[in-house]
Parts: sequence; structure tokens; C-alpha cells
Amino acid sequence: MKRKLLLLLFISACISLVAREYTVENLPMPRSQGNVYVTNPDGILSSAAVSVMDTTLYALEKQTGIQVLVAAVEQIEGGDCFDFAYRLGRHAGVGEKERDNGLVILLVTSERCIQFVTGYGLEGDLPDALCKQIQQRYMNPELAEGNWDAGMVAGVQAVRGILDGSMERQPSAGNEEDDMLILMIFISCFVLAPAALWYSVRQRNRCPQCHKHTLRQLSVRTVSRENGIRTEEVVYRCTNCGHIKRQQRKSRDNDNHHHPGGWGGPFMGGPFFGGGGGHGGGGGFSGGSFGGGDFGGGGAGSRF
Amino acid sequence: MKKTWIIVVAILALVVIFCVTSYNSLVSKEEAVETAWSNVENQYQRRADLIPNLVNTVKGYADHEKETLDAVVSARAKATQTSVSLDELTPERMAAFQKAQGELSSALSRLLVTVERYPDLKANQNFQTLQAQLEGTENRISVERRKFNDEARQYNTSIRRFPANIIASMFGFEKHPYFEAEEGSEKAPEVKF
Repeated sequence: MKRKLLLLLFISACISLVAREYTVENLPMPRSQGNVYVTNPDGILSSAAVSVMDTTLYALEKQTGIQVLVAAVEQIEGGDCFDFAYRLGRHAGVGEKERDNGLVILLVTSERCIQFVTGYGLEGDLPDALCKQIQQRYMNPELAEGNWDAGMVAGVQAVRGILDGSMERQPSAGNEEDDMLILMIFISCFVLAPAALWYSVRQRNRCPQCHKHTLRQLSVRTVSRENGIRTEEVVYRCTNCGHIKRQQRKSRDNDNHHHPGGWGGPFMGGPFFGGGGGHGGGGGFSGGSFGGGDFGGGGAGSRF
Repeated sequence: MKKTWIIVVAILALVVIFCVTSYNSLVSKEEAVETAWSNVENQYQRRADLIPNLVNTVKGYADHEKETLDAVVSARAKATQTSVSLDELTPERMAAFQKAQGELSSALSRLLVTVERYPDLKANQNFQTLQAQLEGTENRISVERRKFNDEARQYNTSIRRFPANIIASMFGFEKHPYFEAEEGSEKAPEVKF
């Protein structure tokens, strides 16, 4: 009995010792940890190294628009470093959407592997052979000794040295959804609104007797004026069949309650132009939230 | 009388609109499959293009590994012959294509194992570059294969769904085969130390 209990204790101790196996979905993203580009959930890297990498990569993104995600974990699900890094890059959307210029640098200590995965747009500037060279020259010697900080920082700095000046950061023009929204607003302004106006005008001069659009307004007469509401009687006559139509319409009496542009104001100055300005401002540089870049399997990996 | 005509015309218009939209969406899905397929072929082509260079480099250091080198060269020749366009991609041809490429993969991995016996070659800069490119290409192949399978699955699903399947059979949209997971070709040739 006692032995069984001991065994159970031993097993549970083992389980608690075994590091967490991360999946692409449950790996904490840098933003949630207060860093920008580095995710270090197992505390493999020191905070000094993390901040050095963050600064370096921030400068890189600011200059070139290239987004880099550095992940250092003990264990990954499946154990295939390339596959994990590739899926992580796509899942997080590292890189700008239009240029696919993302880079994932993955260190898995239990697999003893270091893996670079480049987005489609980086394959030219950072070819596979160069990735491998960086790993072999700057990273593997340090990583093999367990100097995680030194190896990763050296690798990140080497990457920055190569990518510096490789491309220009493009002023982002808002994302696709914003463009769609603006297009919709334009359509509603220039197509739907005139169409609706034309339809209502046409409906108004439709003769109820001969169903032709030949009603003409003859006269307007004010019937009453109560509580600021003015009632007018409008007389229409059909030029086709001679039918007379009388209609009452109510309107706010503008003599007492004059609101210049009371209706036009919020429309012109409000959601449309205000919203447009907001989109322009929101599309600025924001380190940390990745842009949705795609990956095609470029990059290189090695074991140390 | 007039009303019934209007209803008939409206229904006809709806049917026509439905046909046009589902036909167009099938076309764009097929186009996506086609793009994915040409990406797969590109990556296989890229691997085939790397091989002559690799073989020449290895020859300089390990000339008496003739058998392994010849196996790679002939597998490459066979693999480049069996390229197929998407239109004539029947399941049998797909299997043949996969088999030829798989044979090339295994010949390559045998070569890379042999190379382990030649430290001079392994230290050669040119060889290291080629090896990195080859590994990257193997990764790209597996990525593009996966993307092709995804696109083909979407397309195959949509041509079998009612009511688009009527349009699909009317205009001859056919099912595309998938890449099967296969031993040796799915993984990059791994180098053990």
C-alpha cells in the first residue's frame, strides 16, 4: 500500500516536473506578456536578453516593416520544429498582409532545435542558405553550450544586420475591411441615395387614377399652425386625365424653431468624415499586433 | 395574366442569377486549385533544378559513390518526365506523380546519408548552401502540398453540394485527387549525426 502511494507520488511529481507542451493555439503571444516580439513563457531567456531583442526588432520593424516573432519554449506538441514554426507564423499572422514579410525564430530546448521560417516576401532577402549560415555561425555554438541568451541575441542581431535596408516600411493604408467600408459608404452616397430620391419623387407625382407619373403641383396652402407643427394642403393635378389630388403634409414650423444645418450637420461632419480620419490614424505603426502575413515554407532549421 | 408573366419572368431571372453565381464561384475555386497545383509543381521543379548542382559537388569529393549518384540522377529524370497539368490529373496519374517524386526523395536521402562519410564535403561551403536550399525546398513542397489539398478539398466539397452539383455536372467540373501522405516524401531527408 505504502509502495503504491509512493509510486503515485513519484508519478505526480514527474508530471509536474515535465514542462508544458505548447500548441500553436495556446502559446502565449508576445502582446499578452508585455513584450512586443518575444514570447518566453518558460523563462528560458533572461529579461535583459528579451528587452535587447525587443529593441532590436522594434527598430527593424520601424525601418523596414518586417515583423519578427521570437519564441523560446521547452517543448512543443508534435516535436517537429519546422512544422510548429510554420503553423505558428500563419496562426499569428506574422508579417504584413500585402508583403508577407514575416519571420519566425523558434527555439525548442528539449528538441535542441533552432528554426527560422520566412514569409513569402522575405525568401529573397533572407534565403534559406543564409538562415542556415546565421544559425551555424552565430547561434549553434552558443546554444550547444546552453547559453540561450547569447545565442538568440546574436541570431537576432545577425538577422537585423542582413535585413536592415532590405525594404522600406510602407505607410499602411488601412486594412481591407476598412477599404470595403469606405467603398460601401461611397456607393450609398452616390448610387443608393440618388436612386432613393429619384424613386420618392417619382412616387409623389404618380396619379392614383391613371397610374401615370404626370401629377403636377398646383398650389400649397397652410391649413393650421399648432405647437410648432405646420400643416399644409398641397393640391396636385394630373396633366394626363385631369384628376385632382389633395394631400396634407406636416412639417416643423421653421419660423420659430430654426436649426441651421440641424440635419446636415451630424451627417456631413459626423460618421463619414470623422470615421475616415479615424481609419487613417488607426493604420499607423503598431508593434506587436501582427499583420496577417503568409508563409510558404522558406527558412532553415538546424540542431545543436 | 400579366401578373403570372411577371412571376414567371422573376423566377426565371432568379434561376439564371443562381446559375451564374454558382458557376462563377466554381470557376474561381477551380482557379484556386490550379494555382495551388502549379505552386506544388514549381517547388518540385525547384528541387529538380538543385539536383545537378548537388550531384556535381558530391562527385568532386566522393566519386566512387557512383551507384548512389546514378540513382539520384535517374530518379530525377523520371520525376521530371511525369509532370502533369491539372486538367489531366486523374487519381492514377496523381499516384504515378507521387511515386516518381517519392523515389527521388528517397534517392536523395540515401545520398545525403552517404555524404556523412565525407567530412571534407560536409565542410564545403557550396555543399552546405545546396543542402540548406534542398531542405528548404522539401519544406516548401510539404507546405504547398498541404495548401493544394486544402484547396482541392474545398473545391471537391462545393461541386458535390446540392444544388451547385447540378451546375458542376452540367459544365463538367470534375473532382480533383489529393496528395496522400506517403512515407519518405512527406518528411525532409533527415541527416543524423
